[in-house]
Amino acid sequence: MKRVRIERIASQLQPPLRLSLQSCPFTSQTTAPRKELQRRQYHIQRQWQGQKHTVIGKRRASNVVAAEQPESIDDSASATLFEDDVSVRPRPPLYAPSYKKSLHSAKLAALHSRLSLPSKLPLPTLARCLIDPSADPRPGYNNAPFSVLGQDLLGYHTTEYLTCHYPRLPMSVLFAAQYAYVGSAALANVRSEWGVEVVAAPGQEVDPGLLQLKREVPGNSLAEGTDRRMKDMPGVRKLGGILGTGRANAEWNYRRGMSGRVVHDDEFGDLQSGMPSPDSQPYPGSALAESAALGGETTEDGFSQLTPADTDATTVESASASFVRAVTGALYLHAGASAAKGFHRDHILSRHLQLEKMFNFTHPTRDLSRLCARENFEPPVARLISETGRLSRTPVFVVGVYSGENLLGEAAGASLNEARVRAAGQALRSWYLYSPPVNDVVLPSDVEEGKGGKVWKAQMIDVGEIVT
Amino acid sequence: MPLQALRTVAKPQNGVGAFILQCKRLDFHYCDWAGSSKGMNAFLTKTLPAFAARNPGIELHVSPRPGRHPVLRGAYINGCHKAICVRNMQPAEILDKVQLLKAGSGEKLRRERRPVKSANESVRGVWSPFHGGGYKV
Repeated sequence: MKRVRIERIASQLQPPLRLSLQSCPFTSQTTAPRKELQRRQYHIQRQWQGQKHTVIGKRRASNVVAAEQPESIDDSASATLFEDDVSVRPRPPLYAPSYKKSLHSAKLAALHSRLSLPSKLPLPTLARCLIDPSADPRPGYNNAPFSVLGQDLLGYHTTEYLTCHYPRLPMSVLFAAQYAYVGSAALANVRSEWGVEVVAAPGQEVDPGLLQLKREVPGNSLAEGTDRRMKDMPGVRKLGGILGTGRANAEWNYRRGMSGRVVHDDEFGDLQSGMPSPDSQPYPGSALAESAALGGETTEDGFSQLTPADTDATTVESASASFVRAVTGALYLHAGASAAKGFHRDHILSRHLQLEKMFNFTHPTRDLSRLCARENFEPPVARLISETGRLSRTPVFVVGVYSGENLLGEAAGASLNEARVRAAGQALRSWYLYSPPVNDVVLPSDVEEGKGGKVWKAQMIDVGEIVT
Repeated sequence: MPLQALRTVAKPQNGVGAFILQCKRLDFHYCDWAGSSKGMNAFLTKTLPAFAARNPGIELHVSPRPGRHPVLRGAYINGCHKAICVRNMQPAEILDKVQLLKAGSGEKLRRERRPVKSANESVRGVWSPFHGGGYKV
């Protein structure tokens, strides 16, 4: 199977430029190239959109080397003074601190060092990862492109770890484990553990090292100028039912099974929102998916009409999650696949998760009996191993479930029935949590690392869970 | 009814994978007039640049606090602060206090009564009266 070239796809996520060279609009917005500066040294320095005349290459546009160029005096988003000069264009408006401020921010540099990020990942890129789409809706200036890439990378590495180390894990537990490692709640915790603070409101004057988002107003807060709660205001309450799940026949409230989740829902088995309906057809003249994603309508000057006033507010949790994903995506783009994988291993897989506590059985005895029938084991029989205090207030019965002579699972309970059921659950857990020997586990991404990669060994693929 | 799962969030283990230094910010307050700040002023000019170069992960802020004793204040990732007044201290002593703040976690100082704190269960298992040979009375 051909390996997917993510680098090529990722570069296409950036907004279309009128140049053949692709440069990051976030960092090229206020950069003047060396040649032009030497020519204009006797003029007052001013801001201009450096895309047309830049000689800065793809790498340098976002490199810290660009910091060596002298700063412009005026850093605000005002219109230029010299309108007659054709090479001077009105700068795109800034809704977040410019990339030059990111080079001087102590908070940002400290964050970069605290996470031991490689120097290949420049500070301005890290600053861009902290800008949520609700603070700045233009995809060339926020962390949305990195976040999409990073989410796929984190999900991929987590899934391959779980499926290779626990091949028999049931689908629901796999979804839950995925959420526990890289879901939005987990990534929000990661953000706070990294010491990244959140702004009260975004703007140009905030420190570039803070996470910038437009915060959603809590439902029980008071609406301004009134004494009514936001949740009680008419029209604020969301529509009942989730729209845009991408599932057909949503109005008939079909039961969502596990297989359906694999097809329609997101990586955690949760309903998606904002997806197009599967029955909808694009009408002639409709906006194409790419241009719609890249900021909508653009003016003649080439930058988007969208402003932060148009964006929806987000929660701190979802903005934190998209920040962590964005760092992963940016790390992949700048430092490569192995750096992103190491980042996932150090920050995600190092976390402690007890998979055995995530199972919730309803009829473990029935499931175990079906499992033994399928695997051609002898039918399970529960036998009392030991007991104490049968007629007292606190009896303890230790019951083991045997398949012939082999003990499958054992548990203690306060009654015979409880102990038998717990033992069956323990047997099922030990079946589902089987892990192959460490030497036999080879992750697909280990093999893709080129010369230093491991030799592929066929991984165990299970028949499937017991479905009742 | 298919198997249900119980959703949780994985717990962090700082240091198992990546290590995140818990001290994220240090504030240094000095005074040009007060005599108690002499050591601090010398520390700021002589020792602090080297400390800053060795600890790029800590955000350092230096600001005057006129008419007051010199103070070190550390901010930690858990949101707590710890302040140490370094009046009449020599630069070497102040560096010791700075190392103390840097090595802290932000948690309150409390006595740990148990020798081992772990998220993993016992390796050899806890003794049970129901398994094994049983008592011989």
